[in-house]
Amino acid sequence: MSIYKPQNFKIIKIIEETPNIKTFTLKPLDSDKFSFKTGQFIELTVYGVGEAPFTPSSSPYKTDTMDVTIMRVGRMTEFLHSMKEGEIVGIRGPYGKGYPVESFVGKEVLIVGGGVGLAPLRSLLFTLIEKISDFKKIVLCYGARTPSDIVYKYLFPEWYKIKGLEILRSVDRCQPGEWDETVGVVTCLLDKIKIDVENSVAVVCGPPIMMKFTTLKLIDMKFKPNQIYLSMERNMSCGLGKCGHCQIGSYFICKDGPVFSWEQLKDIPEPFE
Amino acid sequence: MEKIINYSDLLSVFKNLNNFIIIYHNFDQIYKKIINPQEIQNLALLNIRCIHPPKLFFFKVKDILTSFTSVEKILLLDVKFCDLKAIRILDNIFIGEEYVDEKYKIYKENTLIISSDCINPQLSCFCSIVGGRPYVEKGDGSDLNISFVDENNLILEAFTQKGEEFLKENFNEFEEPTKNDYLKRNSVRVVSERKIYEFNKEYIKEDKKNKHYLTLKNTYELESIWEKESEKCVQCGGCNFICPSCYCFLIREASKDYKDQHRDKVWDVCHFTGYSRVAGGANPRKYKYQRFRNRYQCKFVYRYENFNMYACSGCGRCIEVCPGKIDMRKVIRSLVLAKGEEVLV
Ligand SMILES: Cc1cc2nc3c(=O)[nH]c(=O)nc-3n(C[C@H](O)[C@H](O)[C@H](O)COP(=O)(O)OP(=O)(O)OC[C@H]3O[C@@H](n4cnc5c(N)ncnc54)[C@H](O)[C@@H]3O)c2cc1C
Ligand code: SF4
Ligand code: SF4
Ligand code: FES
Repeated sequence: MSIYKPQNFKIIKIIEETPNIKTFTLKPLDSDKFSFKTGQFIELTVYGVGEAPFTPSSSPYKTDTMDVTIMRVGRMTEFLHSMKEGEIVGIRGPYGKGYPVESFVGKEVLIVGGGVGLAPLRSLLFTLIEKISDFKKIVLCYGARTPSDIVYKYLFPEWYKIKGLEILRSVDRCQPGEWDETVGVVTCLLDKIKIDVENSVAVVCGPPIMMKFTTLKLIDMKFKPNQIYLSMERNMSCGLGKCGHCQIGSYFICKDGPVFSWEQLKDIPEPFE
Repeated sequence: MEKIINYSDLLSVFKNLNNFIIIYHNFDQIYKKIINPQEIQNLALLNIRCIHPPKLFFFKVKDILTSFTSVEKILLLDVKFCDLKAIRILDNIFIGEEYVDEKYKIYKENTLIISSDCINPQLSCFCSIVGGRPYVEKGDGSDLNISFVDENNLILEAFTQKGEEFLKENFNEFEEPTKNDYLKRNSVRVVSERKIYEFNKEYIKEDKKNKHYLTLKNTYELESIWEKESEKCVQCGGCNFICPSCYCFLIREASKDYKDQHRDKVWDVCHFTGYSRVAGGANPRKYKYQRFRNRYQCKFVYRYENFNMYACSGCGRCIEVCPGKIDMRKVIRSLVLAKGEEVLV
């Protein structure tokens, strides 16, 4: 079988998260199972339109269906957003290396997300929650542009109830009276948390600019380069380490990442460009 | 197994080969595919590499990704060291990693590669200064090599099982070379390699060969030099397309029907803005100099880190193809000099 050939999945449910973000629940047509490691990505095909990389946002423990949370930003995602339940898309993967969750055991896990960057982090969160007593604590700092840009609004009430999980949220701006949590960029949440840096790892996903400033902040907070994990994004086509598009320094993000430690990236000039 | 043969006997053996489709080149240095071997007029063994890169036969300009057609048995004749090295880079990318590109693999498996030494290097040749040499040895990637005792007398050396079989089947009646033949052959090789250093003495000291990596790695931030060197670049992509080791491609979605899943790939190159553009139009390499720089970094730094060899074989095609007359060696010289390192003899 060609490594470039997708499997077919049916869209069985669509949730409108924000005005430009939707979560699609997908079910494989020709098998009853699709497995991935949290943090790995898939290539999603809209037949006749195009293919693009996305990260499953569902729990890897759930293998009969998979969720992907997708922001409408261009040609392919525009088309995808116009699709309906029951329609068929193609999936290749899972590809790349996910989060090294095993190495987080016994530690405090700081998760920092921006915008639709919460998608892979939600999958990670589900994974950690499954075995929450394995971790000293989990802190989620999430920032969105405005209150209506927050994804998974319906999940936060449940998450707030979980012991061992602390959540802080911020928005860049809001209407008066619309928001009683923090206003400001996500890095300002990092000033508010209590964390034992020595015994922590930080996991970051969001737009490039947010990743850059969050990384700088974490370094400031004395996180070591091998305690910071970043989900990197580049143009991708094959997802298999062949077509060249995703190269960053000597890495191919699709096969060596998309999750990298800052240790791996720190000597690469302009990694967040 | 080794054999010695003169040029006209070699030509007549090739004219009578029947179980292959032969790809060879004439004095025009352009690969031709022939079904009837009697059509072969000359074996232009004294030429340098062809104008087109042999990657064309394994990593096609355009190829359907989702279905296979039957693959023909090909004899690819007269590949030089530089191109064998480039094919090793492609092998690393397409079949050397976790995922195997089946089509590339099948094309390669069905090709017998016959290489030959290069005894008339040209001014644009610089194989020896990027870790190569103008002659072929076992392990370089060909099945069989043709080397020169002189312009008329040739040594055939098999390097692989495939090559051994081919040699036995078609050249069994010929003699084995003598010790003296090898000695003469080796001095022909030395002369050829000397010529390459001679042609390139403006650019590198012989004892500095293979040292570009460390120096170039530190030239990333020399933005004003990259800007200046890329001034005449019109971003045509010619250098990437003609490069025997550039492997980049783009997958194109063709079929609207999920049952059909037809899609293909086409060559793509890092000089094009669309290559690195991401969602919403942002681009990590928006300026020309950044894309220009990426090609050098890819070849001399990144792939060196991956595969312990430059993804540049010194074939010189990019120098000849460039409408802006950009010579890779001059660019590297400017950078190296700017770093305060000495390259001139
Ligand atoms: C590992 C990884 C995980 C990701 N996970 C998620 C996720 O979970 N959720 C999410 O929302 N996003 C995710 N993304 C981002 C997502 O892949 C992009 O948003 C998506 O590719 C946008 O596609 P588009 O066609 O809608 O956008 P566009 O902006 O139209 O195009 C995006 C790409 O197509 C190319 N392109 C478009 N038009 C042309 C043209 N005319 N000529 C040449 N090239 C063109 C561009 O160069 C660009 O690379 C992820 C990205 C990566 C790398
Ligand atoms: S990134 Fe550029 S230089 Fe490197 S292989 Fe691709 S096209 Fe060639
Ligand atoms: S061939 Fe010359 S002009 Fe064309 S992209 Fe390469 S360097 Fe630029
Ligand atoms: S997406 Fe093709 S090499 Fe990474």
